[in-house]
Amino acid sequence: MNKAHNYGTDGHGHDHKAAPMVEEITDFEVLEIAVRELSIEHGLFTAEDHRRFTEFAESIGPAGGSRLVAKIWTDPAFKARAMEDPVKACLEIGIDWSKPTGFGTPSDYTHLTILEDTPMLHHVICCSLCSCYPRPLLGMSPEWYRTTNYRRRLVRWPRQVLAEFGLILPPEVEIRVEDSNQKCRFIVLPLRPSGTENWTEEKLAEIVTRDCMIGVALPEPGRTADVHPVVKARRPVHHEEAAR
Amino acid sequence: MSHKSEVDLGRVTLLEAMRGQGKEWEVLAPCYDVTNPNPPWKTSLTAMCDCLDASGALPTLDRRRAEDELAEAVYSDVPAPESQLLALVHTMLNHGLVSEGELAGRMRTVRSRLEAV
Repeated sequence: MNKAHNYGTDGHGHDHKAAPMVEEITDFEVLEIAVRELSIEHGLFTAEDHRRFTEFAESIGPAGGSRLVAKIWTDPAFKARAMEDPVKACLEIGIDWSKPTGFGTPSDYTHLTILEDTPMLHHVICCSLCSCYPRPLLGMSPEWYRTTNYRRRLVRWPRQVLAEFGLILPPEVEIRVEDSNQKCRFIVLPLRPSGTENWTEEKLAEIVTRDCMIGVALPEPGRTADVHPVVKARRPVHHEEAAR
Repeated sequence: MSHKSEVDLGRVTLLEAMRGQGKEWEVLAPCYDVTNPNPPWKTSLTAMCDCLDASGALPTLDRRRAEDELAEAVYSDVPAPESQLLALVHTMLNHGLVSEGELAGRMRTVRSRLEAV
């Protein structure tokens, strides 16, 4: 076999099995294409605009927020600057809120506040009105963030909603919900967990997951993703019990 | 709720025809062993919403208010992100940004194009 062309057996240069695809064209897929094409033809936006926004949406994630939190944890001088002017401090980690897409996203250019947790105060963010979210720092919002179940119930029953994420806080810890809007965005600065002394900024950033910066989870050594293998609960918690 | 949108909650014939066919991503994906939580058109839909906001054609807050009302009153049995797509199109039809007739025609054209390959 010619090594220069040893691309495997699927004919596409891949040496692995192709991931399964949905081999069906749904009306939803057709509708999305149709309304987009008509929008472009009507001059509502251009195909180039759409491509750039798509690239932006697919390229951002929570890594910027993780870096921000880790740097605040390890650099007191940076923390002072970040708490004073978060948007300006974001420039130091390579995030420009005025130009997150590289060409300006007006809906993202907002007033940013960093919400610092303490041992007796826990913050959690939502947008009770719609789905405002600190996209330049956290990427696209999770689907559940947009649901009425989360955003409307969180402002009324935060302790119960957090329990539904598996985050059960002691009764003496105050929970403060910050409601985002079109011009005000928030990110939670969680407490640095014990056991992370002498960790590098990069290693710390790995445990600051998206959910920690929304406030529905807490960072902990060894947990580097919001999704983990599911195990049966040793002591199941009931809704009413968690809400107390 | 104090922030009501101007959206007409009347049913749209074209969109009604798409419901109840079991073609929502959460139904379809497992049939093909696909584990991606979102359909391939989801990011494009997000970008379209951003474009409409950035150009001023349909500001985000107006769109989301309408989406909330439609999700409760009209598309309550449709899961996300299909409900988001239906609500967006419903709102665009209401605002006169596209018409139902031209959309139906374009859907036929798009389907023919996709099925040709």
